[in-house]
Amino acid sequence: MTGKQAADGVRVGLEVHQQLAAPTKLFCACPTTKSEEFPYHFERNLRPAQSELGGIDPAAIFEFSKAKSNMYFWNPESSCLVEADEEPPHPLSDSGLDSALLAAKTLGSNIVDEVHVMRKIVIDGSNTSGFQRTAVVGLGGSLKVDGTLVGVQSVTLEEDAARILGEDESSRRFALDRLGVALVEVALDPVAGDPEFVAKVALHLGRALRSTGRVARGLGTIRQDLNVSLMGGRVVEVKGVQKLNLLPKVVDYERKRQLGLIRIAEKLSGKGLRQIKCKARDVTGVMGGTASKVARRELVDGGKVVAVVATGLGGLMGWEPYDDIRLGKEVAEVARANSLGGIIHSDEFRRQGLSEAEEAKLRAELQSGVDDAIILVAGRPSVVDRCVPLLIARLKEAVSGVPAETRAATESGETRYLRPRPGSQRMYPETDIPNIAITEGLRADLAEHIPEDWQVKVARLQREYSLSEDLAVKVYDSDISAEFERLSRELNLEPSVVASVLVDLPSRLTREGVPESALGLPVLSEVLRAVDSGRTAKEAVPDILKAAGSRGLSVSEAISALGVQLAGESQVRGVVDSVVHKHRPIIEEKGDAAFSLLMGEVMKELRGKADGAVVSRILRERLAELTGKKGN
Amino acid sequence: MEDLAGYKGSSLSFLKKAGASIGDVLEVETSWGVVSGTLVPRYLYGDGDHVVLKLRSGYNVGLDVSVLRSARVLAKGQKPSFSASSPPKPSKGLPRVLIIGTGGTIASRIDYRTGAVHPAVSSADLHSLVPELSGVARVQPEILFNVFSENMRPSHWTKIAQRVRKAIGEGFDGVVITHGTDTLGYTAAALSFALVGVPVPVILVAAQRSSDRPSSDGPINLIAGVSVAGTAGFAGVYVAMHLGESDDKVALHGGTRVRKNHTSRRDAFVSVGVPLAAVWGKSGAEYVSDGLPMRGGSSFAPKTRFEEKVVLMKFYPSMPAGLIKAARKIGAKALVIEGTGLGHVSKEIVRELELFVNGGGLACMTSQCIGGRVDLSVYDTGRDLLHAGVLPLEDMLSETALVKAMWVLGNSRSLGKAKEMMVANIVGETTSRSFPGTPL
Ligand SMILES: [Zn+2]
Repeated sequence: MTGKQAADGVRVGLEVHQQLAAPTKLFCACPTTKSEEFPYHFERNLRPAQSELGGIDPAAIFEFSKAKSNMYFWNPESSCLVEADEEPPHPLSDSGLDSALLAAKTLGSNIVDEVHVMRKIVIDGSNTSGFQRTAVVGLGGSLKVDGTLVGVQSVTLEEDAARILGEDESSRRFALDRLGVALVEVALDPVAGDPEFVAKVALHLGRALRSTGRVARGLGTIRQDLNVSLMGGRVVEVKGVQKLNLLPKVVDYERKRQLGLIRIAEKLSGKGLRQIKCKARDVTGVMGGTASKVARRELVDGGKVVAVVATGLGGLMGWEPYDDIRLGKEVAEVARANSLGGIIHSDEFRRQGLSEAEEAKLRAELQSGVDDAIILVAGRPSVVDRCVPLLIARLKEAVSGVPAETRAATESGETRYLRPRPGSQRMYPETDIPNIAITEGLRADLAEHIPEDWQVKVARLQREYSLSEDLAVKVYDSDISAEFERLSRELNLEPSVVASVLVDLPSRLTREGVPESALGLPVLSEVLRAVDSGRTAKEAVPDILKAAGSRGLSVSEAISALGVQLAGESQVRGVVDSVVHKHRPIIEEKGDAAFSLLMGEVMKELRGKADGAVVSRILRERLAELTGKKGN
Repeated sequence: MEDLAGYKGSSLSFLKKAGASIGDVLEVETSWGVVSGTLVPRYLYGDGDHVVLKLRSGYNVGLDVSVLRSARVLAKGQKPSFSASSPPKPSKGLPRVLIIGTGGTIASRIDYRTGAVHPAVSSADLHSLVPELSGVARVQPEILFNVFSENMRPSHWTKIAQRVRKAIGEGFDGVVITHGTDTLGYTAAALSFALVGVPVPVILVAAQRSSDRPSSDGPINLIAGVSVAGTAGFAGVYVAMHLGESDDKVALHGGTRVRKNHTSRRDAFVSVGVPLAAVWGKSGAEYVSDGLPMRGGSSFAPKTRFEEKVVLMKFYPSMPAGLIKAARKIGAKALVIEGTGLGHVSKEIVRELELFVNGGGLACMTSQCIGGRVDLSVYDTGRDLLHAGVLPLEDMLSETALVKAMWVLGNSRSLGKAKEMMVANIVGETTSRSFPGTPL
């Protein structure tokens, strides 16, 4: 970690959501199939459930104020009435609970004595019920990363949300296939925000979870959320980092963004401004003949334009304390999250086509000086009216630096505003699901199934099978370590050969266009057995797999078709003799040093039909005879 | 709320010793560490071995008291105090609608601190939860009683009917009754008979998904119900529930032909053998059936008494004749039988029914087919039933027939008059023509 970052005091709390490999969803008997087609749909509205304390969750109000209806698309192959919120949830799936408990145990978490399923209010439409069902199964625990202990806060079993298909101004569309799939969520203590270390923590946690053998593999089965804060500042929640290599970028971006917002706040306090005063006025009339394309487009569509005047922010909307970090962008993101595209602020009037004369007229009309920022909000009247107070609220936050928000990670590793941070009082018991007492029997059973620590296992693979660390980690990550160990013991082959055929070769061959389906474990082990039994040489394995994959042949058929049956010793001797004969002058000149050249020639002649070790032995014997030495 | 609601056994004594009550912030020491959180109530059927704390994250966890070493009250809880913002000023031009609460909860609020759910009771409450109501009508909510749907009895029907009669006198433009879903169809039938000729719409609404969840169907059913009660041009007793899975349309079912046909779906209620009375969309009426009674009719003559001693029985293969005898023994004055097919029962049951009728009882036949009408003239068994004095009730739903028998016996002076009323079509409980393709 660089000194600069340590001084910033960036803290990052990781929350990892890992899909479990359960055969059914968490609260119904539906399979965890991904659907491509959705023959049925229905439409729902969610309203915020009110809290007894009179307050409604700010995030819930935010979503409700958008007043969007939700369209749900479903297919009976992947969802039933439970996902449609038309039938009470069935009891918690045993395999989901067991897997989550095992994950908790693996992380050294303390299992609670009684599991209580809660309803966590989520009214962005991603749950048909308006809440997510979730239960803490473990508290505490830790993870050792590069000698540093990272604390586990909690291990939670939860249902996944519906998959969003699209969104427009008035509605969102979701698919129900993913809704209800079992996830385990692990929340870690915040760590100092060295981006690389954060990524490493996530990698370690992912491996620890995989070591249980109970988690799903493949794209989209693991998702990272980050809680990022600068020393003393408010926490920003960043959702949905799907790829591990984006983590450092996201941390970096968020650090830069938060620092930038703090610098903007410092500038304001330097100006003696402790609060921003805002006023809003309808300027549709004044903007009638505007040269701004954005405003004109909205006005043509029957929209209106409201001008928000913010005191003291003149020149600060477009100021970039860091590259591409500016208040104007933050405010525009809030607008966009509310389906409002048309906002223009005074620092970009010229760029947006507003002339100086037009600005002067506007400033006169609004009685505002250049020290004030003007934000023009253009769009459908209902959308503008809903957005203006939200934009004013965001502008006012400028004096306090970083607002507590929920943001989404983008594909490029940046973050974008989603909604205000939810309050803490948004959970209540799921009374449809009885509490589950964790019995002594279950605890004992779990203790027996705690997997070998992944780091211990990688070290053991290196030691027992003489693998390089790189290959050992690859074997571990590939999830076929059990097969690797079995084949290495069973076959008379170097474990590194077994490992590279099992984990290296498939990815190389898929890049070369061999279908993944033709590189399954049965095929790989068959080809290894063919090498082991001397039917072919290990050098021919890539060609055999390619032929088998692209021509739909079995391993034996591919061996015959390619003519790569292993050459017998007599055939090898014949080829060695002819090569030696051909290169006699070189041998006489270079002696033993001619070995590599001759070896290459012989292998080329034999086109992979011989075991390199056998060829090498015969060739060395022959050279020794010729150069008058006895062997080597 | 009691101080330690739901706790019993060793967990109760543990908490008492610690001086804790619900809502307090506790710190307990377990065998593996210290946990702190808010003490929340224990459910009725929870065991006596666990203490439930709500962690700061909002999650509840159960901790085994036998491994808890100590507990300390960190902070005493504060009773939640809720004051709903005052409802918007009622617009003078809007109709007045009385909302009678009987136990079904249409809107409620959650105490996230403890997880308790409290139903909306006052007008302010209801408005803050379903703000759309203020644009539809001037509503006056009132709790008549609070019983689960399955615990409703004819005496409750009488109370509701009497309150509706009074409301009409008070000048309400319509009445909405909130009710649990389970016996909603029975109550709808009962009110249809008791309030025959009612000059305003009387709309029963319910929710298949509980009101404490953001996805509850209750608010939309309520908005539609209030809208119909206040503005519809027709009168009578109807059930307003979701037309389909979506929140966009609410169906109105005539009170004597409505049945709950699914345990959990939003569109569980269907009109059997008749078209829907009406369909309500987001902007009001989208469809209104022909021939509904008009608002303001002058033939309102409520008869709100019911005779409870009526038995409904479903015939099944090997049904013992002793069941009919037992009905006689408990003093049943009428028997409604759900026969098979066109309305059949076994020979033994025919004989018992004859004895029941000869003893002065009223015996009626409906069909367990749900769709279609009974006909006792086609087969020998049917003719035997007719001969035994059993009344065939056309296509009347068996549940409606039960309620009607209770009402008829409560409001007639002779058995002859009761029989006459039983087979007459009073509020659309039977139809005279059946059609292909009519929904079940
Ligand atoms: Zn399902």
